[in-house]
Amino acid sequence: MSRRPSRAARSPRSRLAGWAALAAGVMALTACTAGAYSDTVVPTPEPTSTESASSAPAATAEPAACDDPLASYTPDATLPAPTALPSGSTMAAIRERGRLIVGVSADSLLLGARNPITGRIEGFDIDMARLVAKAILGDPDKIELRVITAAQRIPVLTGHEVDLVARNMTITCDRWEQVAFSAEYYRSGQKVLVSLDSDATSMSDLSGQKVCAPAGSTSLDRIAEYPGVIAVPGTTHTDCLVKFQQGEVDAITGDDTVLAGLVAQDPYAKVVGESFSEEPYGLAMAPDQVDLVRFVNAVLAQAEADGSWMASYDRWLAPALGPVTAPPTPVYGR
Amino acid sequence: MSVTASRPVPPPPAVVTRSGPPPSPLAAAGVPAMPRRRRSTPVTMRWIAIALVVVGLGVVGGAVQTFVGADRALARADANAAQLVRVQSIQTLLVQADADVTNSFLVGGLEPVDQRQAYTDAIHTATMLITQAATAQPADQAALADLSTAVTDYVGTIETARANNRQALPVGAQYLKNASAGLRADAVPVLTALISANEARVDVELRNARNAALVTVASLVGLAVLVVAMVWLARRTHRYVNWPMAVALALLAVYLVVAGAAMASLSSTVTQARDGSFAQMRDLAEARIAAFDAKANESLTLVARGSGAAFEDAWQQQATVVDQRLTSAGYSAGSTGPGGDLAGDWAAYAAAHQQIRALDGGGDWDGAVALATGTTQDGSSVAFATFDVHSGEALSGRTEQLRAELDRPRGSTIPLAVVGALVGLAVAALSWRGLGRRIEEYR
Repeated sequence: MSRRPSRAARSPRSRLAGWAALAAGVMALTACTAGAYSDTVVPTPEPTSTESASSAPAATAEPAACDDPLASYTPDATLPAPTALPSGSTMAAIRERGRLIVGVSADSLLLGARNPITGRIEGFDIDMARLVAKAILGDPDKIELRVITAAQRIPVLTGHEVDLVARNMTITCDRWEQVAFSAEYYRSGQKVLVSLDSDATSMSDLSGQKVCAPAGSTSLDRIAEYPGVIAVPGTTHTDCLVKFQQGEVDAITGDDTVLAGLVAQDPYAKVVGESFSEEPYGLAMAPDQVDLVRFVNAVLAQAEADGSWMASYDRWLAPALGPVTAPPTPVYGR
Repeated sequence: MSVTASRPVPPPPAVVTRSGPPPSPLAAAGVPAMPRRRRSTPVTMRWIAIALVVVGLGVVGGAVQTFVGADRALARADANAAQLVRVQSIQTLLVQADADVTNSFLVGGLEPVDQRQAYTDAIHTATMLITQAATAQPADQAALADLSTAVTDYVGTIETARANNRQALPVGAQYLKNASAGLRADAVPVLTALISANEARVDVELRNARNAALVTVASLVGLAVLVVAMVWLARRTHRYVNWPMAVALALLAVYLVVAGAAMASLSSTVTQARDGSFAQMRDLAEARIAAFDAKANESLTLVARGSGAAFEDAWQQQATVVDQRLTSAGYSAGSTGPGGDLAGDWAAYAAAHQQIRALDGGGDWDGAVALATGTTQDGSSVAFATFDVHSGEALSGRTEQLRAELDRPRGSTIPLAVVGALVGLAVAALSWRGLGRRIEEYR
């Protein structure tokens, strides 16, 4: 009707109707121009950050050779009293500061774990560190525990952020290149944890399955020795337990000490087989603080002599790993 | 509806008023206006009449499009601003829930009841808001579904953390860390996308609301065509004033002025709202999100126990954001606004945080935790709660203000559209009638 405007002869009413219809048409046309919005798009990030630690165990070059990784620096004949530390020594500087700073784990049950009830970090490794604090400062509580991941153990020492790392650290020739170790204070071995209904009895049975170990650990490196086993890095062993419980991995490998702590938290897991590696634990220190290494060796020797090592072992590890008669024999001569 | 406007209207100044002689039907010879000399005058008049009706309808369309469009655009801007507030609230609540639950894991033992309650309340409100937001904006539904999934994952992982914590198993703390990291990796990008999408929608609608082009162009074209037609008619018929058309011209001219003034006022109100309360609302919301994130990072720094340098860096970054946003929202140091001295509140919290860092850095982790979680007046949680309450008041004040400012111009848009439509129809009808009389004279 808009193309043929009403003639003058038409009745006023029909004319009115024509105008009204026209107006309605125009309104309808203009009102519906406001359309819906296009959907909100969420940018998809590149899958990087989640597995940031996975690049750590790269460069598995030829293992550095050394005569005996277990050989540490010979301790002085007698352990000086906290009040009689040699001036200018690393120990004196620590005493000056008022506390020993130690890199530890807060989630390796039995070795170094935060007690959820008290909030305190405790375990066998922590006891070793407290022995050192007591020898330097006269008080095992004058200690600052910095929680670190396995991959951070070496960087925090080379950066002098901590005095000591007491975090189930295996003594190896490779690591001697970057840090210094005390004499061996515990001999562990690598085992594997699987679910309760698994038939596997060793790593060799896990071909095609996913096995988790902390990034930057010797355990993760060793998975590569079993063809077909898929290595999955976690940030810590406890992160591996989370992955295990969520079905992301089929097994976890690590030292018997650590696995004992994991099994204690999950009744649907079991540790199988014999140890397939030797994991001598040492307290790690910065390579330029040899005086501290000698001092710590003296502390460990004293702990063995006065029974405090055995008391700590009996408290933390004996229930899960069985009794032992003595700590490993220290080797010196570096 | 048509020719009601027959009251005396002063003739347009361009036309000389003269009571001319009676029309001579064939007086058109020699008039140079029309190029097509062969077409007979009545036919040309008919075409001009049709053209003027079309022009009148154009004015109807222009007025309706402009004012109804502005009204709808303002309504949509308001709805989008409400959605923006909703999404920002969701982000604030999620970050707050995370800060609460992280803080409660810091202290040994079970979670404090009130902190657990604060976490639960925040999650409940956030879940409710996600549902409301999905109803309010269909375009956000896909993103909100992703967000919902991320929140479900987060809540599930937190519950696993609690179940393990309840049995004193250290794996609980790992579940907490994974949940927190997952929330930041999965939920925050979705929220960021939702916020920027809704900000963009508000901007677009505010721009749409200020668009006066159609009514202006239609009215100006109408005026021009009317004037040309009247001049042609005057020369052709020697009747200098065609009254119906003169009335139409006057009506249109008046409407153009009124509509122009109305759009100018609407435009300035909208610009003011966009640069004023809307900008401040955005700033305050962003300040609050950054503040809660900083608080969560404070707890995560302590949870990390000496390895939390990355979290402290994040705290510093977020604190800078808080300072910037507060300043641009008009709360620079020392100045107060609705909600009080927000910069002062934040500075008090930041001071408590520095003290916590000093204690932690000095090896007194237990003291730092006590200060971070305690309920003493100098503790960071108390200082933060003050900032939370005051900044929340300021934000809701700004939001109310914005909604009022967007609502105010809407009182005049629909009447102006109706008046515009009537004027357009009147122009069409009056022109038709004015030319119709001349055409009749040729019969």
